Amino acid sequence: MYKYSEIDKKIVANRVKQFKNQVDRRLSGKLTEDEFKPLRLMNGLYLQLHAYMLRVAIPYGELSSKQLRQLAFIADKYDRGYGHFTTRQNIQFNWPKLPDVPEILEELSKVEMHAIQTSGNCIRNISADHLAGLTIEEIEDPRPWCEIIRKWSTFHPEFSFLPRKFKIAVTGCSEDRAAILVHDIGLRLIKDKGDIGFEVFVGGGQGRSPYIAKKIKNFLPKKDLLNYLEAILTTYNQLGRRDNIYKARIKILLNELGIEKFKEFVEENFKRFSNKKLILDKSTIKNIFKFFKLPSLKPGLEKVPEIKNSLFLEWKNQNVLPHKHPNYSIILVSLKSNEKPPGDASSIQMRKLADIADKYSFGEIRVTHEQNLVLPHVENSRVYEIWNELLNINLATPNIGLITDTICCPGMDYCALATARSIPISQKITDHFKNYSHQKEIGDLKIKISGCINACGHHHVGNIGILGLDRKGKEFYQITLGGSAKENASIGQIVGPSFSEKDLMGAIEKIIKVYKKNKIYEKEDFLSVFKRIGIKKFKEKLYDNN
Amino acid sequence: MIIIDKISERKNEFIELPDEKLSKKTSLENCLLNLFHWKEKKKEIHEKKIKVALKINSDEELIFGENDLRYIKMIQINFLNFKDGRPFTLAKKLRKKFLYKGEIRASGNILPDQFVFLLRCGFDTVEIKEMEKDTWLELLEFDDGLYYQP
Amino acid sequence: MINIANMAKKLEGHTFLLSANDLKTGKVLFYTSNGWLPELNKAIKIEKKSIEKYEKLLKIDEENCLIVSGRFVELNDSGSIKNLRDKIRSSGLTFKI
Repeated sequence: MYKYSEIDKKIVANRVKQFKNQVDRRLSGKLTEDEFKPLRLMNGLYLQLHAYMLRVAIPYGELSSKQLRQLAFIADKYDRGYGHFTTRQNIQFNWPKLPDVPEILEELSKVEMHAIQTSGNCIRNISADHLAGLTIEEIEDPRPWCEIIRKWSTFHPEFSFLPRKFKIAVTGCSEDRAAILVHDIGLRLIKDKGDIGFEVFVGGGQGRSPYIAKKIKNFLPKKDLLNYLEAILTTYNQLGRRDNIYKARIKILLNELGIEKFKEFVEENFKRFSNKKLILDKSTIKNIFKFFKLPSLKPGLEKVPEIKNSLFLEWKNQNVLPHKHPNYSIILVSLKSNEKPPGDASSIQMRKLADIADKYSFGEIRVTHEQNLVLPHVENSRVYEIWNELLNINLATPNIGLITDTICCPGMDYCALATARSIPISQKITDHFKNYSHQKEIGDLKIKISGCINACGHHHVGNIGILGLDRKGKEFYQITLGGSAKENASIGQIVGPSFSEKDLMGAIEKIIKVYKKNKIYEKEDFLSVFKRIGIKKFKEKLYDNN
Repeated sequence: MIIIDKISERKNEFIELPDEKLSKKTSLENCLLNLFHWKEKKKEIHEKKIKVALKINSDEELIFGENDLRYIKMIQINFLNFKDGRPFTLAKKLRKKFLYKGEIRASGNILPDQFVFLLRCGFDTVEIKEMEKDTWLELLEFDDGLYYQP
Repeated sequence: MINIANMAKKLEGHTFLLSANDLKTGKVLFYTSNGWLPELNKAIKIEKKSIEKYEKLLKIDEENCLIVSGRFVELNDSGSIKNLRDKIRSSGLTFKI
C-alpha cells in the first residue's frame, strides 16, 4: 500500500489548518454560505436533508486495517456509528457537525486520509479496478498510476474551479470493473508491440445526459500521461460550458464539438503547454510502483477445501475469486445484507473486519465501486475460517453479482437533490429475492437504483436500471433495461411509463419472467438475453393490461 | 480598493474609464482600457508605441495579434464570479503561449482562499478591498511552498 | 444560496411553515414563537400574505449565522406537510438503521 511521504503529510496537515480557518470564518460570519459552499465542497462537506454529510476519500478504493479502524472511531465519536461506502470507492458520514469537521479531518490525517476534492467542481478521487494487482490477466497494476494522478490533481492551481466535477478511473485489464467508460476520463493500460501505455477515453458520464466515453487516443506513452491529462483539462476549463449547470460536464463539450475537433484542441494544448517537469521518467514511476508490491505470499493449498456446509459452499461459490497466486483467494465481502442499506457498515463491523484483515489478508481491504469490500489476499486453507468470522458480523451474504447485489444511492432519505427514495426499493428487492437458489437461478444481473436523474446510483448502466421520480408529489420509478458499465458499456433503454412504488416489484418480477422464459441455455445471463431479444418482449409483458 | 502582491501593497495606479468613446485628450498610459477601448485605440497605440493597461472580464475571449502584447504593460482579469476558473487557464496561456512578461492582475469577485492558486498560475497582483487585506495576507501564510505540481 | 427573493414567487400553496438547518449542527429547525426549534408541532403557520415578512427574517438569521438553507414548507388543506421530501426532512429516515 502507498505510504505518505513527508510532503504528503505536510500538505494534508496544512489542508486541515486551512479548513479550520475556513470553518471559523464561516461561523463568525466572515464568509457567507455562498462563499463557503464551494470551499466546503472541495473538502467533501455537503449539507443534506437532515444534516451535514462528509465524504472521505479512499484513493482508488484501498484501505488499511488501521484506516478502517479510524473510520470506525470517527463513526462512533462524531457520527451515528456507521458509514456508507459509495460508488466512487469513498465513504460518507451522514451526521457530522460543522464545528467538529476540522477535528475529524485531523483524526483522518493521523492515518493518512483526507476529504480533499471528494466534491466540488474539481478533479475528484481517482478510482480503479478493485481487483488491481490481483488477477492473472492484468496487463499492469493501475494503482500506482492512480497515485501519480492523485498527486498531480490535488490542489491543482489551474483546475480547482472547473465548469463542473471531473472524474477519472483507471483499469489495467481488458475486463472493466472500474466503469471507465462512464467517467470523464477513462484510462486503460494496454500493451502495444511490447510497450505498455494507455488507451484514453473521454467524455463518458451519467446524469441527465448519459454518454459512453469516446476513444481519444489509441496509445499514450506512460511518460506523457500527466501532460496529456493536463491538455484535456486545459481544453475543458477553457471551453466547457458555464452558462448551464446541466450542460457543464466535459461530455457535453465533447458532443457539441465532436470528437475530432475536441481532439484537435487537446493535441494543440498538448503540444503548446507540455511541461518537461511533468514528463514521467522511469525512476519516478519505479518509486511509486515499489509501494504496490504483493505481500510475501507463501505456498499452500491449490484449492479452497470443500467443507460440507451448504451455506459455506454457496458463499464460496459466489464471493470467492481466484488470486493470481494459486494458493490464495480473493474474498468479496458483500455490504448488501437484508439488514442494512446497500453500502452501509456499522462501526462494529468495520472494527471486526479490520481485525479479520489483519489476521487473514495482510491488513488490506479494498472498496469496490459496486459498494462492497474486498479482502485481497487470503490463503486457500483459511477461507472456511474467515467465512465463519464474517458470518458472525453478518458480512457473509452470498450475493456478489446477483440480483440483490444492487448499487443504490442514498435517495430522498438523505439527499437534498433526490426526487424519490431508493434505499427502501433496494431493501424490497433484497427481501423479495432473498432465497439464494432463486437468485442463482436468475444468475448475474445488476440492478442499479438512483433517486434522481443525477444518477449517483448508476441506473443508466444497470442491466435493470431504476430511476426514482416525483410525479405530482408521489414516488414513481422508471425502468431501463440493457445498460452495462463493463467493457461492453451501454446505456439502458427506457421500457415505458414509470411504475408506482406499489407496482414496482411486480414489474421487476415480470422482467425476470421474460428473461427466464427466453434464455436458450442454462447460464445465458440477463444482458445477453436482452441483447438477443430486444426490449419489445419486455414491454409487452409489462404493459399487457393497458 | 488596494493592489497587493505577495509582499507589498499599493494604490491603484490606473484610472478606470467609463464604457464610452474616449476623448482625444485621454492619456492612455494611465488608464485601464477595456476591450472596447482597446479595439478603438489599437491603431494609435501601435503607431505611438504607447504601453497601456487592459481590463478584460472572465467571460471575454482574449484575441491578440502577434505584436499586441508588447504594448500592454498590465492585463487585469476581472472575475465575474469566483467559481469561474477560466482566468487560471488564461493566465497560464499568457505566460506560456504568448510568453507575456508584463503584470497580470486579478480583480472582481475573488476569494482570499484563491490567492495562492492565482499566484501559481501566473498572476502577480490582486485588487481587493483595503479592509480585507489582513485575511488575504493571513491566508497567504498557509502557503508553505509545498505543491504536487511542478 | 437560496435566492429568497425568488422563493416567494414560486410558492403555490396558501399556508406554510418556515424551516432551515442549524448552521452548526445541520439539524432541521422550524421557526416558532420562541425562535428556531427542532419541534415541528411548535412551528408557526404562515399565511401566504405574510411571506415577505418571514423572508426578511430568514435573511437576517442567515446573516447572523444561526441557520442555513432556509425554506418554506407547504402545508395541505388539513394542515400537514404536503410533499414527501419535507415530510422525510421533518420526521427522519423512513427505514431502520
